[in-house]
This record gives sequence, C-alpha cells and structure tokens, in this order.
Amino acid sequence: MHPPDHDEPHRWLPALPLALLRLLLPRPERDEVIADLAAEFAQHAAAGGRAAARRWVWRQALASAPALLGWNWWRGWSGFEPRANAYRPGGLMLKHWMADARYTARRLRARPVYTLVAVLTLALGVGGTAAVFGIARPLMFEPLPYAHASEVGMFWMPGWWYEAEFSEMRGRFSGFRNVAAYRPADVTMRQGNSPARLVPGIATSVELFDVLGARPFLGRGFHAGEDVRGAAPVAVISYGLWQELGGTPAVVGTRLILDGTPTTVVGVMPRGFWFPDPSVRIWRPQPINPQRMNGSFTLVGRVAPGHDVRHMDAEMHRIVQTLAVRFASDYFGDADKRRAPALTPLRDALVGSMRPALMATLAAMGLILLIACANVAALMLGQVEGRASELAVRSALGANRRRLVQQLVIEALLLGLGAGLLGAALAAAGFHLLAGALPIGAWAERAAFDWQLFAAALGIALVAVLLVVLVPAMSLWRGDLRIALSGARTGGIQGRGGRLERGLVVAEVALAMLIASGAALLVRSVSNLYAIDPGVDTQHIAVVDLLSSPTMHDADRARVVRSLLAELGSIPSVRSVAATAKLPLRGAGDSFGMRAEGHPEMSQVITYFRIVSPGYFKTMGIALRQGRAFDVSDPPMIFDSAAQADSTREASIVVNETLARTFFPGENPIGRHLLGGFDQRQRIVGVVSNVAEAGLTDAPAPTAYYLGDQVGWESGVSLVLRTARPQDASGVLDAARRIVQRVAPDMAVQQTTTMARVFDTAVGPARQVMSLLTVLSALALVLGAVGIYGVISHFAARRQRDWAIRVALGLPGSRVVRHIVGQGAALVGVGVVLGAIGTAVLARLLASLLFGVSAIDPLAFAAASGALLVIGVIAAFVPAWRAGSVDPALVLREQ
Amino acid sequence: MTDTRFAPLGVLEEQVLVAVLRTRNDSYGMRVRREIEHVTGRDLSIGAVYATLDRLEAKGLVTSGRVAGDGPSRRLFRVSPAGAQALAETRAMRERLWHGVDVRGLLALAGR
Repeated sequence: MHPPDHDEPHRWLPALPLALLRLLLPRPERDEVIADLAAEFAQHAAAGGRAAARRWVWRQALASAPALLGWNWWRGWSGFEPRANAYRPGGLMLKHWMADARYTARRLRARPVYTLVAVLTLALGVGGTAAVFGIARPLMFEPLPYAHASEVGMFWMPGWWYEAEFSEMRGRFSGFRNVAAYRPADVTMRQGNSPARLVPGIATSVELFDVLGARPFLGRGFHAGEDVRGAAPVAVISYGLWQELGGTPAVVGTRLILDGTPTTVVGVMPRGFWFPDPSVRIWRPQPINPQRMNGSFTLVGRVAPGHDVRHMDAEMHRIVQTLAVRFASDYFGDADKRRAPALTPLRDALVGSMRPALMATLAAMGLILLIACANVAALMLGQVEGRASELAVRSALGANRRRLVQQLVIEALLLGLGAGLLGAALAAAGFHLLAGALPIGAWAERAAFDWQLFAAALGIALVAVLLVVLVPAMSLWRGDLRIALSGARTGGIQGRGGRLERGLVVAEVALAMLIASGAALLVRSVSNLYAIDPGVDTQHIAVVDLLSSPTMHDADRARVVRSLLAELGSIPSVRSVAATAKLPLRGAGDSFGMRAEGHPEMSQVITYFRIVSPGYFKTMGIALRQGRAFDVSDPPMIFDSAAQADSTREASIVVNETLARTFFPGENPIGRHLLGGFDQRQRIVGVVSNVAEAGLTDAPAPTAYYLGDQVGWESGVSLVLRTARPQDASGVLDAARRIVQRVAPDMAVQQTTTMARVFDTAVGPARQVMSLLTVLSALALVLGAVGIYGVISHFAARRQRDWAIRVALGLPGSRVVRHIVGQGAALVGVGVVLGAIGTAVLARLLASLLFGVSAIDPLAFAAASGALLVIGVIAAFVPAWRAGSVDPALVLREQ
Repeated sequence: MTDTRFAPLGVLEEQVLVAVLRTRNDSYGMRVRREIEHVTGRDLSIGAVYATLDRLEAKGLVTSGRVAGDGPSRRLFRVSPAGAQALAETRAMRERLWHGVDVRGLLALAGR
C-alpha cells in the first residue's frame, strides 16, 4: 500500500511543520515517516481540498512534537535502539548527549571523591563570587533611584558649607538648574508614652527633591518657603517609616512629634528611594538663615541642560569667585573654598568610598574562582591521563575524538550544574554574613539574595566549567590516542607528559600569591593603624550617644546631663563618668577660626572646639600637661542668665599641646586668652596631651575644650563611662541605657558602643577588608595545596616504575623523596615569582586602603611567598614520601 | 491472575498492539495510526504512535524489521509472543472486570 503519487509528494507540504518534524524525528525513521505523511497529505488534499490537508499536517506536527521530544529523550536515556535500525545512520544530537550524560553521570558516581572535590571547590568560588557580586550590585551597577542621575553632582568640601554662602548663591548658581543644601539631622520621635526614639534624617533646603528628580509616591514634596524660620514644620518620610506608621494613605497629613515639635507628614517617598544613604528615613526642610556663617551643609546640584557633570570646572570657578567677593575674609586655612572647587558625579560622591573595598573583595573572590577552576582542570586532566588506555581503546573501536571531547564537556557541565546549585546555596546562606563583614554601612541591609543571583551563580559556574574543560579537551584533541595505547603497557617513562598540569599548578600558586600578598599588605596596614596612639584610653570606656531636641532649653539640657552623670556614676563597675559633645576619632566636628589675644600679627587658625563635662580628661585617660583640668572653681554660667549676659565673665578653657605650641610658641599659655568662637572671654586654665580628635591618621590639630555648664551643650551628647576592667565596658551599656530612659525620657539613645569599637571604626574599611582577605587567602592556600598535592601525586605515580628500577639498583628512597619535593618546590617557586609580578601591578587596587605601607612591600611579599612555599612543600611531601617508601619489587611485579 | 509479571497495557499501548494485529503484514507507523483513527474515530499523532511502538519494542511486545519498497525502506512491526500474551491477558482482565455488570441497565442509565 505505498502511496500512488510518489514523485513529488513534499512539494505541497507546508514547510514549517515539515521542518519541525524533520528536526524532531529520529534519523533512521525520518524519511519513511515524511514520505508516509506526504502520501496521506495527498489523500487528504484529494478528499477535502488542500487547505484542509494543510491543517491536518499542522495538527499532526504540533501534536507529535511533545511525543517526539519524549521519544528522543527516552531513547537517549535508555540507550534503546530497535533491531530494525541496527545498520542505519545514528540518531539525533539530543540522543547522543543524553546517552553521554547518562554514561558520564555513572562515571561520576563511580568516583565520588573526584566529583565531590571538584563540585565543592567550584561551588566555593561560584558562591563567593555570586554573593559579593550581589552585594556590590546595588552600589556599583544598578541605577541610582534618581531621574537622570548623571546630571546630578556633589559640590566640593561636603559638610563645610554655610547657610550664608548657600543663600548668597541661591537661584544663581551658574551652569545649574537647581542646587540644594542639606545636612545630616537625626531626629527624636515620640509616639504616645514610649521613650523617644531616634530616626536618622536629613535637614535640607526645599530644592532637594527637585534636584534629585524624585517625587513622593504619596502626598507632595517641599514647597518654596517651607525652609524659612517660622514656617509650619513639615516632613517627608521614607517608605519603610511609612509602613511602620501604619502604611495607609491616611498617614499623610498626620502629625508626628519630632524633636518635641508637632510636624505634619506631607509626603512618602517611594519604595527603594534613598538619599544620601539607605539609613535615612526622614527629610525635613531646614530653616535657612541668610546671615548664619555656620552649619555643616553639603551642596548637591543638577546641572543645566547642555552641561556635563564631569566638565564643570569653569562654572565652579565662577561660583567660587562670586562667593569670594563677600566671604574672602572667612576663607582661611582648611576652610578656604577657593582651593579646589570641583563637582563630583553623584554616584562617586555617595558610594565611591566603598568601591575600593568592594572591588578588592570581588577581585579576591574572582581569583578564588580561577584557582578553583585551575584545580578542577588539573583534576580532569589527571582523569583524562589516567584513562588514556581506556580512551585509546574506545578510539580504536571507532569512537571519534569529537565524541570523547563531548563526553568531557558533558562531565564538566554536570559538575558545573552541581557547583552552581551548591554555590547558590552557599551564597544564599553566607550572604548576610558577608554583607555584614563588608564596610558598606547601611547598604548591608539592602542587599538581598534573589533569583537573579541564583541565575548568576549558575551562569558563573557554567562559564567556569567551560573554561575548565578547555585544558583537558585540548590535551585530548592534541594527544595521539594510539600512541597512548601502545605506551600504556610500558609504564610511565614518558617524562614529557603533564606539562599542562604543571602549568595549571603554577597558575594556581600565582593566583594564590595575589590574594595572600593582598591580605599581607592589609594586615601590615591595619597593624600600622592599630599601632597609632589616639591619645585616649580605648580599652576601659563605654559610650552612650544621646540626642535631645534642639528646642530644649540650654539650662534644662545641662541639668539633665548633670543628673545623668550622677546616676551613671552609681553603676557598680563604673569608676568615673563624663560627657562630651563629640567623641575623638569620629570626624572633624565643629571648629572656629581663632586667634591668640595679644598676637595681632597672627592670622586665624582653624581650631576644633569640644564641649565637655568636668571629669572628661580623667575619664578618657587624657594626660594633663600643664595647669589644671576643669574643677569646681569654674562657675556654671548656664543656669544664671545674668552671668550669661555679663560679658566680663570669663569661660575657662583647656587646650591641647598643639594649640599651645601654635598660638603661644615659647610662652606659657596658662592664663592667656583666645579670641573667636563663643561670646565670652576664654581663659586657658590647662594644657592636655594631643588626642586624635578627627581621624586616626590626621596630624594633631589645635583643639580647645569648653565646659558644657559654661557655654551650653548641643543637642547631641556622648556619655563616656570608665570601667575598672576592659571587659566591663560593654557590660555596663544595658544598665546605662535603662538609666537614660528613666532619668531623661526626652532624650533618645542614638547608640551604645565602646571606645574600642569607635577605634575599630576609625581604623576604617581596611580592617574589614583585611579580615575577609585573610579568610580568602587561607582558602586560596588550601585550594593551592590540594592542587599541588594532586599534581605531584600524579607525577609520582607516573614515574613510579622508573624510580622502582633505580631504587632496586641501589638509589636510596630519600633521594626519590627529595627529587619529588624539589619538583613541587620548583612549581611553587615559579608561581610565586609570577604572582609577585602580578601583585606589583594589581596592588594599586588596594592603594586607598593602605596606610604606612607601600603597595610593593617586601615584607608582605616575603610573608605571602613564605606561606605558599611552606604549604607547597608540605603538599608535595606526602606523595613524595609515599613514592620513596614503596617496595620496588611490588611495583615492578605489578607492571 | 495467572502471571505475576504481567503488567496491564496502557490504553494507547493496547490500541496500538491491536492495530498492529489488524494490519497484519503491512504494519508500519502511519498505517497503524490510520487504522486506530479509522476504528476509534479520534485524531492521533504520528509521533505518539512511533513513541509507543518503540516503547513496546523495548518491552519486547513487538518486534520490527525493515523491508525495502519503492520509496525509503520501512520499519514493519509484528506482535511478539509476549505481546500476544499481554494482549490476551489485558482482554481477559477486562472481561473479568465486566463480568456481572448489567450492560442493559448501564445503557439505560446512559439514556440510550
């Protein structure tokens, strides 16, 4: 019953279903099925017209597709081949792949150690890289939550701008569409009778949201005129705070008690919006006082159309020239804005400082991944060489080289799949740990593991294994399998083999050297930082940071501070208590331009002023050099309005050695007066040692200490508690927090910490990157050791017969051991040299994290290469020992 | 149940096996498909038929061999003794299952 019309049956068949069927039908059956289909198509066409016949073919093709796919899959998996097809050309690609996958899976199951080591090694690299990438992603790669963020830039000297300067230029910043001034202004928020809590916030001129191109998703932004004194207080809140307040549209229009003042919520920013960092949850208009030469503002602006943030030098110079007309007399020393006017692109300004740490970690993780790849490549290569005779036999029996390489690729893909899944699991598990360990502040909480990262982990793993499989595939492709077959029985005298393997180990060692020397550089740098004496005791001091409402009366605040100090002093393990408006090591803080009385020739000098309580120097362990510390003879003026008004009353001040030396070189500073800053006359009563007031690495700067009871406290106060033993410092914090909540319910505890932690923070991101890199370099060393061990074992096994003969002829076993260990040491040596060269080039990446150590530091290099050599020799020694102690008779008989 | 190794055939497997029997010496895939379509009156895809035939061959219920014709060579199927036994047992099982069911009552229930 063959079709009658056989000559050109395909001609009228619709092309698309025909192609689909051709693609899916197994090759041996393809032609006959298509021919039968064509014949039946002709019958359908004759009976019901060509259109109906076409529909029929379409239905057949579409309905067959799932069954045909399943059929292919099943044939590949089961390996079933009907007898009728015995002499017909092979089936589909998919079928081969399936069969090979099955074969490979079986082989992998049969070698659990190899499989486990390969998957685990790769998974560590993949998981680590994916996790760091996930953490860096929102900071470095994702768009900022502002419209056309590339048009927005930050002015130079952030945190140094005065309200008067901003008012002077407002509306006529040339080259800018809009400029806003803002400063950090955390607020206390009270709800019902619960103690006040602190909400991180920003006080800003009303232009901010226009500059950022961000709109609230509920309510409105700020209106012009809301940033003048006397305007009704309003606030825009973050999505997170809105949710905490109930998350309903009715929140807009309600009043919150912020800093003791009822404030209307006018808008809610959309989810995902942040500025200037994700911790900020509330934005309020800052009343701008056009006369005020104070305030620590940052300016952010959106450039006018046609301007480029990166090419604004001319405009910035014009702005600073306009400013200098009015403010030239205030521009001295560090406060001189004429020195380096510049506009920084917003991303660099907001997250740029975190980039080196992230890049260094990402690079280190990438290196770990490469080491893992080299390791697995060496493992696979060992497998291929170990299977040389098997492969040669298969090849002699007709398996072509392509098929053998295909099997390798499938093996790699299976390993990659396993590594990807395990790596994603590792990344998910370690994600928050890693985010917390990186110096990225509030961004750590934003980082989240999601399906994209899962996909990234899989993708990285697959790329990694394809990289890995190149090496053994190359070896397989190049090698002549028949020679392997003929050589297989003659033992391993082919000493030329294993060049690729050795190359891989050298690469691994070189990469490990990169990480290890990076870690060593950071260890050196961080220990340099810790060796700096900040001038205060960092071991025995607990810290409670408080924030009070700015509207609180000076005398009230001073009274609360007094009673807090009295209560806190009664905690059993506390030896003494004091307060300060700003702790050392926490940035520059406030400063005045000051002069020494009686030195008219002297220009103003930027001087830090610090407001403290009487016991401050003793509590902080700051040494008194001359005169006296504050005591009862310094009258509290704050409680007495008459005394405050009396301009003849003097405030007592204590200065540091640098101030004494700068203002009164070669003179006795005690009893002398300073000009500038507060209204009162300021008489020096004592000189104390220098303290790292701003940053750890800053040169000592002139500093004057004032009494809170004489000049008044600021809204932020840090209480310091000195304990008898270092371990008590963190132990007293809970008790202190409870006392604050009882004695001063109007004050919010901003945070509790210890001076040791403040010091850690001051050491900066280098400390955290160092910890991470140290862990990673340990990992790199372990991976490197595994690689060296594997390759040397293989090398020893290959030459076993060779040595057995020599040992049988009288060569002592120790010579064999020495020879093999020497091989290992030579590989490590070459790797170390190459790695050192690489480090010299790449250490620039770390430059911004280094302190007191050059990027090319011989000591760090020596430490890293020493560690690698030791580990390498140990890893080589194990197989060497085994080879040296083997009985030659056994080996020779076996072969 | 006489043979504990007997696994009942699936509906499509049974139909395909019966169709192979019915088409006797000309049982190639498309012919089998047409036979089932013709008898049952429902559409069946060629892919499903070939996949089933292959599975039946793997189970040893049919055998196949090639014959040359004027077109491409054809794979012709034949029911194996094991296949015949499976069919017989499937039919016997069904009859046991139907035994005692009142067919007239059933038709009445179906409204015929």
